[in-house]
Amino acid sequence: MTPRIDSVLPLLTTLLPVLYALSAAAYARIYVREESTGARLGPVILRIAVLVHVAYLVSRGFLEGHFPLASVYDFLSATGLSMALVYLYVEAKEGTPNTGVFVVPIIFLIQVVSTAYGLIPPGPKVPIRPFWFELHTMSAVMSYSAFSVSAVYGILFLALYREIKSNRFSLFYRRMPSLETLAQMNIRAAGGGLVLLTCAIGLGLGWLHSTGQGTFGDPKIWLTVGVWCIFAFALLAYHRLGWRGPLAIYASLVGFTTLLLSRVLVDLFLHSFHEFR
Amino acid sequence: MSATGHPVSTELDFVCVGLNHETSPIEVRDALVMNEEEVERTLRQLRERAAAAEALVLSTCNRTEIYARGVTHPDPAGLIASLLEEIKGVHLSGRGARLYTFHEPDSMRHLFRVASGLNSQVLGEPQILGQVKDAMDLAGRHGGSGPVTARLLEAALHCAKRTRSETGIGRGPVSAPFAAVNVAAKVLGHVADKRALLIGAGEMSGLAAKHLMDAGLVTFAIANRSRERGEALGKCLSARVVSLEAIPVVLPGADIVVSATSAPGVLVTEDMVRTAMKLRKNRPLLIFDLAVPRDVDPAAARLPNVFLHDLDALGAIVAQSLEQRRAEVPRAEAIVEEEVSRFLRWYRSLELKPTITAFRGHFERIAREELERHKGRFRPEDQPALEAFTHGIIQKLLHHPTTRLSRAGENGTDALSRIDAVRDLFDLGEEKDADRNPR
Repeated sequence: MTPRIDSVLPLLTTLLPVLYALSAAAYARIYVREESTGARLGPVILRIAVLVHVAYLVSRGFLEGHFPLASVYDFLSATGLSMALVYLYVEAKEGTPNTGVFVVPIIFLIQVVSTAYGLIPPGPKVPIRPFWFELHTMSAVMSYSAFSVSAVYGILFLALYREIKSNRFSLFYRRMPSLETLAQMNIRAAGGGLVLLTCAIGLGLGWLHSTGQGTFGDPKIWLTVGVWCIFAFALLAYHRLGWRGPLAIYASLVGFTTLLLSRVLVDLFLHSFHEFR
Repeated sequence: MSATGHPVSTELDFVCVGLNHETSPIEVRDALVMNEEEVERTLRQLRERAAAAEALVLSTCNRTEIYARGVTHPDPAGLIASLLEEIKGVHLSGRGARLYTFHEPDSMRHLFRVASGLNSQVLGEPQILGQVKDAMDLAGRHGGSGPVTARLLEAALHCAKRTRSETGIGRGPVSAPFAAVNVAAKVLGHVADKRALLIGAGEMSGLAAKHLMDAGLVTFAIANRSRERGEALGKCLSARVVSLEAIPVVLPGADIVVSATSAPGVLVTEDMVRTAMKLRKNRPLLIFDLAVPRDVDPAAARLPNVFLHDLDALGAIVAQSLEQRRAEVPRAEAIVEEEVSRFLRWYRSLELKPTITAFRGHFERIAREELERHKGRFRPEDQPALEAFTHGIIQKLLHHPTTRLSRAGENGTDALSRIDAVRDLFDLGEEKDADRNPR
């Protein structure tokens, strides 16, 4: 089994960015051309890419004996996959493939970088970790992806909002779903991200408590809790306080910006036991 | 002579005679719109006076066209013009009306283009599809339709659906009220559960209300200077009617506002909108100012979540849509050509002579194949006798059906059904390049 997986992995590693590139091109075609013919091509290729991606991760899992999430390269690859999954979920919910052109190219770029990293010889083997620790990392990665997708929809909302307010009715206006739909996509993705982040924090704290490794005072933990609070407030404002329009979108974008800044802050200036190598 | 210049036998021709917005003024078109009784009379007259085997009347505000098959009259255009004058009591000469005549295949192509909205005043408008269906129903009810018209209309409707789904010929709004509904849907998603306030009860408000109702919206309020006029429109919409002074009261409850009055000054001020937005907790408010001079203070557009659009803005959307539709015409025309060719292949397969030839050929081919298959079981010297024997059986079996089929040509409409049935039963296919032969 192992030698076979070994031989398939390079093929899958190369195939992934190609499939994401094809999918991005198909979504671009959907955006540029309005006819329904070929509208399914993008979603179909993206689904195939996701399946290949899952096969790739499973193969690596078999090979390495744990979920492959031990390096920046792994982190990027998992982020790409989870962004694709979140996007496909939102697309299916809202029934429009026209926004794929703004999400899938990002996934493609992430995968290209990940594949490029993958060409570097792997480092020392990671020790076997408990399953729920793997769940912690997986849910954290998926929550970041969901927040990224939410941010894309937030930005699209703001762009369309400005376009309509200023009486400009360009191709972008024609292709985008309604503002209400974009707001829904933004909130749905943020909601999903918040649930996953809650799981990640809970599992992480549980792991910390049971193993005693690391510290509750870790800056990454507190910054992540801060991000959680901002997104929780954004969702509360939308669902309970009735915030609508740009205000609600800004709230979720503040959450995403804080998330990005916190990662940069931790990686560059603060010491954390949460580090990918 | 057909429009393509080919000589056409009137006995066989599928002819179209009519007028539309391109050839006749609105007064003439209005005067020629037919009700069901008049359609029935026209179809009857065509049968009685011109021996039309099948006929169809398409009468809308933009066109009156008569399609007929098998008209024996030497001048179908003249006959139909006099029929129209008789039935509608209108003199066509000297009123700027010009009748056009198309013979097949141009008559068929014309119907396909009409159904697809390519011949409409507003390019790609969808109402014509329903009107063609109505014409089909009327022809069916009053003995006008037959196998060819039924199949022709079916093909025309299929063609129209293709042009709509495969091209952008019907995409985008083409009137200011329609554009307003389009923008509202772009902001709010679904408008069905929203509430609309119409300021003014004139034609423009009525048109906007119609488009909003088409989009599923059911809750209307009307603010109008004249209570009576407001009530008249309010009755159609089951709407609450208020005076113009009550606008600040009803404004917070509306998600979509359409203002189209002839008032000389502003009716909806920025302050009114600001107050309304506070009361509606900043939920999006769409305001369409279709009035000249404008009814709504343009400063209201600066408020967050207020989308204010005037006629200029909506006009830009309409112009854009029309431009896009025009760009789709070549693709739509290509589909029409495809569908016309497909229909003509079927139509020409109904030729009598090729059908009989194909029918006999079908049996003879089977006989040849069977003889070939069992060749080894007989002595070579027996082959001629065997072939004669098989041929004799086929001749006897096919004599009666062939005779009946040959005589089918004398029975008009029945003949086509019979020929079609034979081709279908024996899977004789469609003769792509069959010469035209008397049916």
